Amino acid sequence: MSVSVTITDGPLGPFLPPGAPAGAGALVLFEGIVREREADGPIDALDYEAYQPMAQRMLARIGDDLTTRLGLLGLWVEHSRGRVGVGRCSFRLVIAAPHRKEALAAMDEFIDRLKQDVPIWKVPVWRRATVAPARPSDRPDAG
Amino acid sequence: MSVKVLLFGAARLTVGREHVVVDAGQAPTCRAVLTELGAAYPALRPIAGVGRLAVNSEFASGDQQVRSTDEVALIGLVSGG
Repeated sequence: MSVSVTITDGPLGPFLPPGAPAGAGALVLFEGIVREREADGPIDALDYEAYQPMAQRMLARIGDDLTTRLGLLGLWVEHSRGRVGVGRCSFRLVIAAPHRKEALAAMDEFIDRLKQDVPIWKVPVWRRATVAPARPSDRPDAG
Repeated sequence: MSVKVLLFGAARLTVGREHVVVDAGQAPTCRAVLTELGAAYPALRPIAGVGRLAVNSEFASGDQQVRSTDEVALIGLVSGG
């Protein structure tokens, strides 16, 4: 059993699959990607703030609890801190378990608890309005 | 007693500072600190109303007493993931 927690500056790099632990019958991966819209409009990126070391400890505590309770064989979680652009990965959770059912249940519960108890916040970077360059005829003194 | 409260996310943006200092009386509880936060910074009331305090990086109950050496943070609605 192992729980690994990493908080990284900027977007997460490519996924490097961990070796499946002995006895694993399921390895489940979830990646959270920055959408191009938040509720109030389009964005260019999200700025993630984390209250360290509490965020790290809470992630590990949730992972330890699920590992013990559901008999997981491994849990790896990565979360971004700082700016992550649209389309980039800001969160990754990989869970290994003897069977699919525990792995999927753990995945769901981990993310619910993350969104309830882990002190990480996202601040939208709103998309800047694109202004077309003025044509000569738009100038007040034109013509 | 003056209590320094760390702010993050929407709370930090609302006040424009990474921390505020409030006077919540002698031997204040976390509940008293939250109340004083809302009184001293009305813009923080919506966040303090649904938020929790962390004391020394652990969520604290409303009855927990804050000591002068504690690190206190306002944990509003989180939005990781």
